[in-house]
Amino acid sequence: MQYALLVTGDPYQSKACHSALRFIKSALEHPTAQITGVFFYQDAVQIGNSLTQPPRDEVNLLAAWQSLSEEHGVPLYLCIAAAVRRGILSKDEATRYEATQFNLAPQFQLEGLGTLVELMNSTNKVIQFR
Amino acid sequence: MKNTLIHLSSDPFSNLACKEGLDLALVLATFEQAVDLCISGPALSILSNKQNPNSIHGKNLNKLLDGLEFYDIENVFIERQQALAIPQLSWQGIQTLETQQWQQLFGQYQQVFRF
Repeated sequence: MQYALLVTGDPYQSKACHSALRFIKSALEHPTAQITGVFFYQDAVQIGNSLTQPPRDEVNLLAAWQSLSEEHGVPLYLCIAAAVRRGILSKDEATRYEATQFNLAPQFQLEGLGTLVELMNSTNKVIQFR
Repeated sequence: MKNTLIHLSSDPFSNLACKEGLDLALVLATFEQAVDLCISGPALSILSNKQNPNSIHGKNLNKLLDGLEFYDIENVFIERQQALAIPQLSWQGIQTLETQQWQQLFGQYQQVFRF
């Protein structure tokens, strides 16, 4: 079974990003399960801010997502419109908006909602975490 | 191609959820995907055309509704029982479902996303 995830819940006001991560880790233990990608939308895009500094005695959610993506090759997409609106900029977007800084975390890519539509059509099931 | 239901349930002036849910519906339609909308709870207020928000209040999403037909989004469902509680509903493009039909609605789609 192929799964793609649509994560929409704020990483600080909800457990959406945490639950999605746990789902993927469980799914990857099953040999037949495949994760085709994770699309972050709405306030969930804040997960891709590389400047976040969680307290040392709390889970580093960004690092957890990054290592999951690195180890298992799971693509992590942030909706570009939702991300730019919230100040998550890649180097290219910083240039486009004439910003002096960029903060998109490694392993994350900014993509349009069209990428989510492609994921929907190439995957058996899309699950929303909100 | 999958058929998708976008369920709007958040207050349109409290956060961006309704706006971003509608954005997803429009993108799906632009990519010629089958997409319907259903509206419940605080989101029902987008059906009132007696809104006059300024830029601080947020976007007037009611105005977006008239454009849905140009995207071939033809089905916008609400539940009759909820509509009764809000007398100022005024947008004409809605289809009103009885409670049982409303409950069955969610099983008729391969994907349901809630905003």
